[in-house]
Amino acid sequence: MEGLLLDVLSGLGRWTLGHVRGTGRAGIFLMHGVRGVFRKPKKFRAILGHVHFIGTKSFFVIGFTAAFTGMVLGLQGYYTLSKFGSEGLLGAAVALSLIRELGPVLSALMVTGRAGSAICAEIGIMRIEEQIDALECMAIDPHAYLIAPRFVASLVAMPLLTAFFDVVGIAGGYLVGVSLLGVNPGAYLDGMQKSVEWLDVYMGLVKSFIFAMLFIWICTYKGYFAGVDRGSFGPEDVGRATTDAVVVSSVAILVSDYVVTSLLL
Amino acid sequence: MAETEAGAIIQVKSLNSFYGQRRVLQDISFEVPAGKVTVIMGVSGCGKSTLLRHLIGLKPTDPGQIFVEGRDLAGFDARQMEAFRKRIGVLFQAGALFNSMSVRDNIAVPLRVHTRLAEPTISIMVRIKLHQVGLTRFGDYMPSQLSGGMRKRAGLARALAMDPEMLFVDEPSSGLDPITAAGLDDLILELREAMGMTLIVVTHELESAFRIADQLIVLDQGRVLAAGMPESIRESRDERVVQFLTRRADERTRDQEGYLSDLLTGGRKVGVHP
Repeated sequence: MEGLLLDVLSGLGRWTLGHVRGTGRAGIFLMHGVRGVFRKPKKFRAILGHVHFIGTKSFFVIGFTAAFTGMVLGLQGYYTLSKFGSEGLLGAAVALSLIRELGPVLSALMVTGRAGSAICAEIGIMRIEEQIDALECMAIDPHAYLIAPRFVASLVAMPLLTAFFDVVGIAGGYLVGVSLLGVNPGAYLDGMQKSVEWLDVYMGLVKSFIFAMLFIWICTYKGYFAGVDRGSFGPEDVGRATTDAVVVSSVAILVSDYVVTSLLL
Repeated sequence: MAETEAGAIIQVKSLNSFYGQRRVLQDISFEVPAGKVTVIMGVSGCGKSTLLRHLIGLKPTDPGQIFVEGRDLAGFDARQMEAFRKRIGVLFQAGALFNSMSVRDNIAVPLRVHTRLAEPTISIMVRIKLHQVGLTRFGDYMPSQLSGGMRKRAGLARALAMDPEMLFVDEPSSGLDPITAAGLDDLILELREAMGMTLIVVTHELESAFRIADQLIVLDQGRVLAAGMPESIRESRDERVVQFLTRRADERTRDQEGYLSDLLTGGRKVGVHP
C-alpha cells in the first residue's frame, strides 16, 4: 500500500517537474526565436519563402473553408432571423461572426493543420538527422537561421489569410442569402456596412496575430525538441511531435480565443 | 611522444559524462596532437559518439575537463564558442545535409552566413570543395538523390567550406562498401598531408582506424582501454584489446546468480551485478 502511494506520488512529481521544465524551455525557446529575428544571418529571402509556404500555399484551403463557412452561416442565419422577420440583418450577422470570431479562429486552425504540421515535421527531421547539430557546429544560431524567419513569416501571412477568409466568407453568405434565399442585396450589404465597426476588425486582427504567434511557436518548438526528452531520435519521435504540435496548437488557439475575446470586449 | 604533448591542441582531463543517471564516460584523459589524425575507436555503445559531442561542445561539459589550446571549453561564452566553431569542421555520421537545398547550396551555407564574399566567389569556392571530394558534377543534385557515400563526401565538402583547422569525423566508413570507405580514408589522409589539418575520427572499423591513425584511443564501456601509436595498440597484450582487435564476440562473463536476479527483476537494477 505504502509502495503504491510512493509510486503515485513520485509519478505525480515527475509529471509536474517534466511540465514545469517543458514550459520553461518553451519560454526560453520563444525568447531565442524572437531575438534571432534581429541577429545575422540576413533572412529576407528565407522569410519570403516561408510566407509563400504558410500563406500562398494555404490560399486554396482557406478559400474553400471560408466559402462553405460563409454559406452555412447564410443558411443558418437566414433560418434564425426569418423567425423574427429580420432577414435584412443577415449581412450584419454573417460579417460580424466572420470578422470577430470565425475568420481568425478557422484560418488559424486550417493553417495549423496544413502548414504547422509540415513545419513541425521538417524541423523534427532536421533534429533527428543531426542537421540542427550541424548548424550549431558551423557557428550558425539555429534559432536565428531556422526559427526566426518562420516567426516573421507567420505574423505576415496569418492576418492576410484571415482577411481573405473574411472576404470569401462574406461572399459565400451573400451567395446563399441573396442569390438562393432571396434576401434583398441592398439590405445585406447595407446592414453589414452599418454594423461592422473598426473595433470588430481590430479584434479580428489582434486575434490573428496572437494565433499566428501561438501556432508557429508551438509547432517549431515541438519539432525542435523532437525526441530530445526521450533521448531517442527516430521517425516515430517526429510523428509524435507533429501530432502533439497540431493538438496543442489547436487547443491553445481555442483557449486563447476565449481569453482574448473576454479581454477585448 | 614528447613532441605530441607539446603540440596538443585539445586536452581531455578526467572527463565524466552522464545520460540521466547512467554514466557513459568515466575518467577519460587524452591529448589531441595538432596536425595529426587521432582515432577514437570502440564497439557500438562504448561512448565514443558522446565523447565527440563533448569535444565539439554539443553536450555540456563540467569545468576543468576539456581544454582547447589551454582554455577551458566549459568556460567559453557564446562569442568564444562561436569563434571555436568557426575553426572546426564536423562531418556527421549520415552527412547531416539540409534536405531542402541542393548540394551546392549546402556547401555555400557557412560561406554565405560567415563571409561577405560575392556570390560568384562563393560559387567558385563551392566548386573547389566539390572537386576536392570528387563530386564536381553533383552540385545541382538534392541530397536525397545521392548515395550514402556521396552524401558523406558532400557533408565533408561542407565541413571543409570554411577551411577549418580541426576536423571532427563521426564514423566515416560506417554503412559504406570497402572501396568507397577506403576512398574516404584517403581523403582524410590527404587533408592531413596537404593542409596540415588536425583530425579527430570516431570509428569502429579496425582496418580504417589503423590505416589513418597517428594516435589511437580505444574506448571500452566508457573508459580508455588503451591509447598510443597504432603499433603499440596492435602489440597490446590486454585481453579486451586483443578481443576487440580479433573481433571476438562478447563472452558471457556474468555470474549465474546475477543472471537469475536479472530474470526475476526484469533487469531493472542495471549495474548492481558485474
